[in-house]
Amino acid sequence: MGSNSKIEPYRIAVPDSMIDKLKKKLELVTFPEETSFTNDWNYGAPLDDIKRLTQTWKETYDWRSVEANLNEKLPQFTTRIGVEGHEDDLKIHFVHKKSEKPGAIPLLFCHGWPGSIIEVSKILPLLTSGATDDEPTFDVVAPSLPNFGFSQGTSKRGFGLRQQAEVCHKLMQRLGYGKYATQGGDWGFIITRTMGALYPEHVVASHLNLIVAHPPSLLSTPLLCLQYLLGWYTEQEKAGFQRVKWYNDEGNGYNRMQGTKPHTLGFALADSPVALLAWVYEKLVDWTDAYEWTDEELLTWISIYAFSEAGADASVRLYYEAAHQTKKEDGGVDVLKWNGKVPLGLSYFPKDVFVLPSSWGRTLGPVAFEKRHEKGGHFPSFEVPEALADDIKKMFAKKGGIGAKLAF
Amino acid sequence: MVDIKPYTIAVDDHHLEDLKTRLSLAKFPDELDQAGWDMGAPLADVKRLAKYWQDSYDWRNAEKELNKVPQFVTDIQCDGFEPLAIHFVHVRSKVQGAVPLLFIHGWPGHFEEVFRILTPLTEGGDGIKLPAFDVVAPSLPNFGFSEGPKKRGFAMEQYAETMNKLMLKLGYNEYVTQGGDWGCHISRALAHLYPKYCKATHLNYDSANPPEFLKNPILSIQHALTPYNPREQHGVVRSKWFDQEGRGYSQLQTTKPQTLGYGLADSPVACLAWIYEKLHDWTDSYPWMDDEVCTWVSIYWFSTAGPAASVRIYYEMIHNVDGRKDKIDQKKMRAWTPGVKLGFSHFPFDLQVRPSTWVRTLGNVVFEKEHNSGGHFAAWERPDDIVNDVREMFGKGGGAFGVVKGVTGYIS
Repeated sequence: MGSNSKIEPYRIAVPDSMIDKLKKKLELVTFPEETSFTNDWNYGAPLDDIKRLTQTWKETYDWRSVEANLNEKLPQFTTRIGVEGHEDDLKIHFVHKKSEKPGAIPLLFCHGWPGSIIEVSKILPLLTSGATDDEPTFDVVAPSLPNFGFSQGTSKRGFGLRQQAEVCHKLMQRLGYGKYATQGGDWGFIITRTMGALYPEHVVASHLNLIVAHPPSLLSTPLLCLQYLLGWYTEQEKAGFQRVKWYNDEGNGYNRMQGTKPHTLGFALADSPVALLAWVYEKLVDWTDAYEWTDEELLTWISIYAFSEAGADASVRLYYEAAHQTKKEDGGVDVLKWNGKVPLGLSYFPKDVFVLPSSWGRTLGPVAFEKRHEKGGHFPSFEVPEALADDIKKMFAKKGGIGAKLAF
Repeated sequence: MVDIKPYTIAVDDHHLEDLKTRLSLAKFPDELDQAGWDMGAPLADVKRLAKYWQDSYDWRNAEKELNKVPQFVTDIQCDGFEPLAIHFVHVRSKVQGAVPLLFIHGWPGHFEEVFRILTPLTEGGDGIKLPAFDVVAPSLPNFGFSEGPKKRGFAMEQYAETMNKLMLKLGYNEYVTQGGDWGCHISRALAHLYPKYCKATHLNYDSANPPEFLKNPILSIQHALTPYNPREQHGVVRSKWFDQEGRGYSQLQTTKPQTLGYGLADSPVACLAWIYEKLHDWTDSYPWMDDEVCTWVSIYWFSTAGPAASVRIYYEMIHNVDGRKDKIDQKKMRAWTPGVKLGFSHFPFDLQVRPSTWVRTLGNVVFEKEHNSGGHFAAWERPDDIVNDVREMFGKGGGAFGVVKGVTGYIS
């Protein structure tokens, strides 16, 4: 192991010049003209909201104090990881907090888009404590994915899901976790499923909070298929279908754009902080369950993109790479295919963007834990952290969960 | 007609200076190695164009050139909406029997697209050997130098109403249209709503569905039995490319135009990249000059309603925001329009390139021509082809000859 494998402590320290340049751009902002419908959420992020947030970002939002708070709450590090066919020494930024107690289960927390390590901030204390002997406890590792947050950006085409999975897996190995569990939603769902397919000897279990799945088919899961064909869905599951329909009809324009022409979009995200603000803000509201965002929270989520190492424009390329890397020869893994080797925990939240019936989720693999919630959306670790942490703890409990089977 | 005033494009100095300031402060993304055009507009191109736009491009000169073509403005009001100042190009032929032709641009196009076909159609037709036309080429509401509505629901019906009222106001009780992209869609809306006035449409866009047996039995059988010719085969490949790789902008503009608008309004580089990508991808290796691109994008950047407004047309077409009955949606626009003569010019690098049997489900197709080259902005890329096709369709011996009462395009 050369100098390449060192683990260095890290503190976020955005240069003054970046903050100044942001403020200067915010001062020059030109907004679209007002009409009678520029505050109608159906058309996109409302003008009054964006104007208010721009004003706050420019005048009163205190990045330095937020930065200090993040550095205090989240123990952060960097290390360099080589990726086959890409950089030899990609700088990976990550949060790493070891449990206060022995017998901790190593847990990789994988964020998505437009998320970041901030998504682990509320559940970190809940997972690394372990108040009672019954409750499992975790060593939590939460990386900034390459091209996100304070990790390095990649420079070659083809850095897709396989490569993201490789980075996350190698990170866990680097930290001495030969075997580990995973937690994720959004890209975290897809990347951890890829890891379960590529590294089944290492991934002991995966907890998921965005569940995308095929309906059961007669050939693979006949009993589930019967339920599907007979339309035996609960009210919750029916509401879930409505949500999926909304996403497909109204909510996936960004996905289609990012999956086909990320570079064109990138010009807007790089040059206009207001473009970035609106682009992300719309999701933070549309994808959550009436979560009462504070302006500070919103601007922090967005600032992490604005101040990211690779630039906000780099983050959207993953959609392109994933969409085009579907063939096996390209390294594509079918994350919706049954994987019998990795037990799953499925937490369904009503305002997520895909809310599918339980019978569909069960086609992904052996389900060790399942819960359908009454509240929460796409970012449950931030919206309803206790509920999510509870699910994870129940899944990995020694009594009633799979904890006893795992040798930690 | 006192309220039709001459119009001179005159962007104010402050706006010009603001553009240069923004360009000078532009922050560019980086780019993946060897991304080419696959992932979007290439960094080197956009950087070069942005620099040219900032340092060398002379808008005042472009403005002077644009203003050489006669332009006007007049208020047009749609039912239930406020009056909008509509900017338009208008040239009357010297030939008394000239056919009134309404040229309708699309997105990301504008009135300038008519410039290369204007003189051939209005002056090139002597009315003896070749038919002559009066040409009207407006800026659609929310585009170019026309105002935009402040009320939601300004959809296909309103665009058609605006166009029709403009032509009637100019004294043309019957007329024909030419267009692609939204020009095609709005022409279809005109054919549905105003067949009394809009007598024929020449289109360079194939927005049509395959024939269904119950609706068009003969076309359906023909479609099933006749193999696609080389143009149609190429069209399948091209249309598939558009569906899989080219529709991101459309999906976005159709659902969240407001969110997109912030970037288009605030960053000229964003506006440039957004449009330039289409100018490249949608044309047939057309050798765009930097000056050309800058003028094209400047018309969006300096537009009366602002660049963010132009994309709303996508949202309004798809969504029935006020619950109106018989909304002119895509299904309606692809339904048979009786009483209106249709003509199609097919260009291989357009976005939807459909078989002949498909476009014949739209109505009485009296003219159809296949071209070996050219793309989406046919009037700009292949003006001679458009002029020849329009002359052929409406001239003596053409399928739409004499379609407008009282004028044949020839000296009587």
